[in-house]
Amino acid sequence: MGSIEGILSGFQVALSLEGILFVLIGVLVGTFIGMLPGLGPISAIAVMIPITFGMDPAPALVMMAGVYYGAIFGGSTSSILLNAPGVSGTVATAFDGYPMAQQGKAGKALAIAAISSFVGGTVSVILLMLFAPMLSSVAISFDPPAYFALMFLGLTAITSLSEGSTIKALISAVIGFMVVTIGIDPQTGTQRFTFGNVNLLEGLDFLVIALGLFALAEVCTLIINRKDLYFENKRKIGSLKITKDEFKEMRGPMTRQSFLGFLLGVLPGAGATIASFIGYITEKRISKNPEEFGRGSIKGLAAPETANNAATSGAFVPLLSLGIPGSGTTAVMLGAFLVLNVQPGPLLMTDRPEIFWGIIASMYIGNVFLLILNLPLIPYISKILKIPRPLLISLVIMFSIIGVYAISFNTFDLYMLLLFGVVGFLMRLFSFPAPPFILAFILGGMMEQAFRQSLTISNGNYMIFVESPIAISLLIVGFLSFLFPIVGHYRRKRKGIQ
Amino acid sequence: MFKTLNQRISLVLLVLAIVYLVLAYQLPSFAYTVIDADVVPKGLGFILISLSIGLFFAKDSDTEEQKARRKIPKKDIGTLLAVFGFVFLFIFFLEILGFIVTTAIFIFGCSWFLGYKKPVTNALVSILFPLFMYIMFTKFLQINLPQGILPF
Repeated sequence: MGSIEGILSGFQVALSLEGILFVLIGVLVGTFIGMLPGLGPISAIAVMIPITFGMDPAPALVMMAGVYYGAIFGGSTSSILLNAPGVSGTVATAFDGYPMAQQGKAGKALAIAAISSFVGGTVSVILLMLFAPMLSSVAISFDPPAYFALMFLGLTAITSLSEGSTIKALISAVIGFMVVTIGIDPQTGTQRFTFGNVNLLEGLDFLVIALGLFALAEVCTLIINRKDLYFENKRKIGSLKITKDEFKEMRGPMTRQSFLGFLLGVLPGAGATIASFIGYITEKRISKNPEEFGRGSIKGLAAPETANNAATSGAFVPLLSLGIPGSGTTAVMLGAFLVLNVQPGPLLMTDRPEIFWGIIASMYIGNVFLLILNLPLIPYISKILKIPRPLLISLVIMFSIIGVYAISFNTFDLYMLLLFGVVGFLMRLFSFPAPPFILAFILGGMMEQAFRQSLTISNGNYMIFVESPIAISLLIVGFLSFLFPIVGHYRRKRKGIQ
Repeated sequence: MFKTLNQRISLVLLVLAIVYLVLAYQLPSFAYTVIDADVVPKGLGFILISLSIGLFFAKDSDTEEQKARRKIPKKDIGTLLAVFGFVFLFIFFLEILGFIVTTAIFIFGCSWFLGYKKPVTNALVSILFPLFMYIMFTKFLQINLPQGILPF
């Protein structure tokens, strides 16, 4: 069967009454679970697997895909409204989304997130349809040195995420990296910095750090300012209105990040988190007003939201065409395929074209549903911020605690959450930025593994990092992007002095 | 010697880096690994030492806004400590009394303490929120939360 016929059969599945119904159920459940504390796409898919038992594979997988991108979509809500990112892919969303919501523009922030997610999702599905078979070879050509270089490139974002002092941003990142070394080393099995504590063997969970440094630290600030007026213009809080000029501002980041996010999503292991961070800093660097970033910039919100949704579709490339799950989420998704007796891989496109193309075609419809369903709900969801501060503070604390407890079932992690809440607050007081910490925490582990794998392959020869053309080009881009903001900073200072 | 805030912070970081390095040097090594588990931690330790020395000599670049953030009234520090105390107690009693009971008490008590004086609304939220979350997680999502003293 040719690919055009394949695509048509895919649309037949997606546009059938059954297909539409299951996409609808998928995105609804996904969005809802994604909004709950601590539950991201992994739990959403895992929860839905038993429901698919005995279902026809095509509609079942169409539904699961809907759950996946629905959950990514829903996850941004808590980042924007409460500064409590539930999944790593939405951390960068909070950088500008939360300040915007605090300025009384919660509805607008959520609408921008919804629209950019829609654009990112839709553009990347088109790319998926056009390039899926071709891109799968790119995904496997990435060897450990190339991964190391990619992670390095991701980490260079640190210098762009500083609040003035580069050295403080670097210190924050090094400590984040140190925290991720806690636990059993996956290569040698050595216990590092666990102090014999069983609870530390697996290391600290992402949510403990993210909710501690962001949500609980924010709670401290809220407690101090609890008597202030709530928002500058409370009445407009649920308003979705985006002006023409604002839309123009979103256009650039949305177009660029749809492509970039998709490409990064294709690489196994990189995924939505790196895509959203790289998306954010790229836009900050090319922006004429980089100082607006971090204070409720429209571009700063549109970029990571577009990128993380585009990366979600990108992640389907290695999954569908090679059968390789590139992330924890796609691994659970692979489980869903296997439960339904469908083996994703090179043969899927020829043997079961209706499933391969059905999933892809359903994503167009799913993205439209997400937008139609969510826009009318935004005014109601944003009302969360109208809750009186004392009550809101208690609820945010609870939200964070449930989020951590629901993944670890362990009170030790809750004490750790409390500890990182204090650390996060102290970091704020002394102007150490939290984003580099969390970025190093997310990338550090992967970076160390890629570094050591590369050197194991080369038997300790560091030349391996410059021999691979992909690695060397990424490293050069990384170095430039690391130095660029520092040089720019000093230049501006010099000019100021003169 | 430690006049500025940066210098004092850099001292704390230096101690942290040294403790981390000492622990990193105690990690066991294996004979046949090219790059052992201690290489990256050692590197990180030395980087932190050099960065904290850098911070010691760095000029104070904080803006007025950032400095203003540090001025917290004593009363508010007390409030913060009290809320952290509440959270600590909550965690301690969570698995003993169960999710619904501890959460209800926490939300009511903490909101009241922070100045929310509408007992009826407060009580309603304190009971409905944990109940909704509990039913959502345990019945619908099959994720167990501590049951504690309640029979369901």
